[in-house]
Amino acid sequence: MNSHFFARRVHSLTGIIPVGLFLVYHLYTQLYLHQGAEKYNEHTNAFYDSPLAIWLLIIFVYIPLFYHSILGAKLSIEATPQPSYHYFSHLLYWLQRISGIGVLLFIFAHLYNTKVMPLMTDTYGQHFEHLAEGFASAETGWLTKSVYLLGILGATFHFANGINTFCMTWGLALTPRAQLRVRVLSIIVFVLLTAVALYSMSAIW
Amino acid sequence: MSNKTITFKILRQDGPNQPSYWETFVIPYLPNSNVISCLMDIQKNPINSEGKKVRPVVWECNCLEEVCGTCTMVINGKTRQSCSALIDKLMQPITLQPLSKFPVVRDLAVDRSRMFEALKRVKAWVPMDGYHDLGPGDKILPDHQGVAYKLSECMTCGCCVEACPQYSRDNNFLGAAAISQARLFNMHPTGKLIANERLDSLMDDGGIAACGNAQNCVEVCPKSIPLTESIAEMGRQSSKRFWKTLFQI
Repeated sequence: MNSHFFARRVHSLTGIIPVGLFLVYHLYTQLYLHQGAEKYNEHTNAFYDSPLAIWLLIIFVYIPLFYHSILGAKLSIEATPQPSYHYFSHLLYWLQRISGIGVLLFIFAHLYNTKVMPLMTDTYGQHFEHLAEGFASAETGWLTKSVYLLGILGATFHFANGINTFCMTWGLALTPRAQLRVRVLSIIVFVLLTAVALYSMSAIW
Repeated sequence: MSNKTITFKILRQDGPNQPSYWETFVIPYLPNSNVISCLMDIQKNPINSEGKKVRPVVWECNCLEEVCGTCTMVINGKTRQSCSALIDKLMQPITLQPLSKFPVVRDLAVDRSRMFEALKRVKAWVPMDGYHDLGPGDKILPDHQGVAYKLSECMTCGCCVEACPQYSRDNNFLGAAAISQARLFNMHPTGKLIANERLDSLMDDGGIAACGNAQNCVEVCPKSIPLTESIAEMGRQSSKRFWKTLFQI
């Protein structure tokens, strides 16, 4: 084993644990949007009030996510387009790379919207209001909505398809039949997570 | 005799590192011909579509029955063997290009040494330390034989790596064929004596971790070798070795 192998296995692992699991948890907490501003802010602030919150985020989200993004972006750039081969898995291969880079850009916008901007305007803590205002804005509402929609779709796709490639990389699904089962599982995960996310978003649409 | 014709657009190159250029050839139609028989016709009478006599087109071929892999080229945008590419089943004009992942020697002939170097890297052989009588070999059960036979059909033709978005001229990825051969020799009763050496090669730079799971390899393999299954199996073996070495150091 050398660093090439190790780096890529860590890349594969961080995509599911912890970044993928964080995505699932994050989409779950957004269901609080349906319980109104007070409940949503209370729940969100309860997490951030914990003295461990910042460390949990750094260790289990920011560092793994940063590593996964940097290596992922490098690998995506290095891929050689093979435009004459129209196969479904090949399409997923490119969608995985495009969605990865797209989600990375979305995360920057998302962090700006929910962290940087509130801190600058000294309104941090009113999480629900920031999201709802962004969505309701007469001028830029459509843009915010589109960006969030694409970002969420990209993230759920990237995670669901990532489960598929993870099982292939680590040799969990061997035969074509087993790989088909994992693919079906990943489609179910994609549909479920997307449905949950869209339902949450409908509260402030 | 009909007066139908066959039109070829061939990507030519006069030598290694020379610029490439397209040349069109129109030859009389013959029923049941394949790309190689047409290239032979062009060779006999190398006149391009402008009526100019040119250097005959160079290509490689050997078995003419899709078991040697030598005549692999990109036909109408897809990698395949030219011996089994029947003219009646191809759209015209038929485009012929050399494999893009290997250095061109001339016209359609490429140097696939990298694939053979990859087989050396994964030690795709059964280790022997002499010619003395080793006694009878291990019994091989039919289900094992069924898997091994399919894997042994690989002819190192290069289709899998040609279609692979992870395999490029400027990296050192082993490619699906070599990974699958490592699997074949790791399941052989004597070959498995050096199974860990093969895994170490697969876990080195440009090894199995360079696979991006695009799965074009298994789609284009002319021998229908279950390449993704081989990659997953070697992924599993290297995962085991990964955890083992991680906790041994």
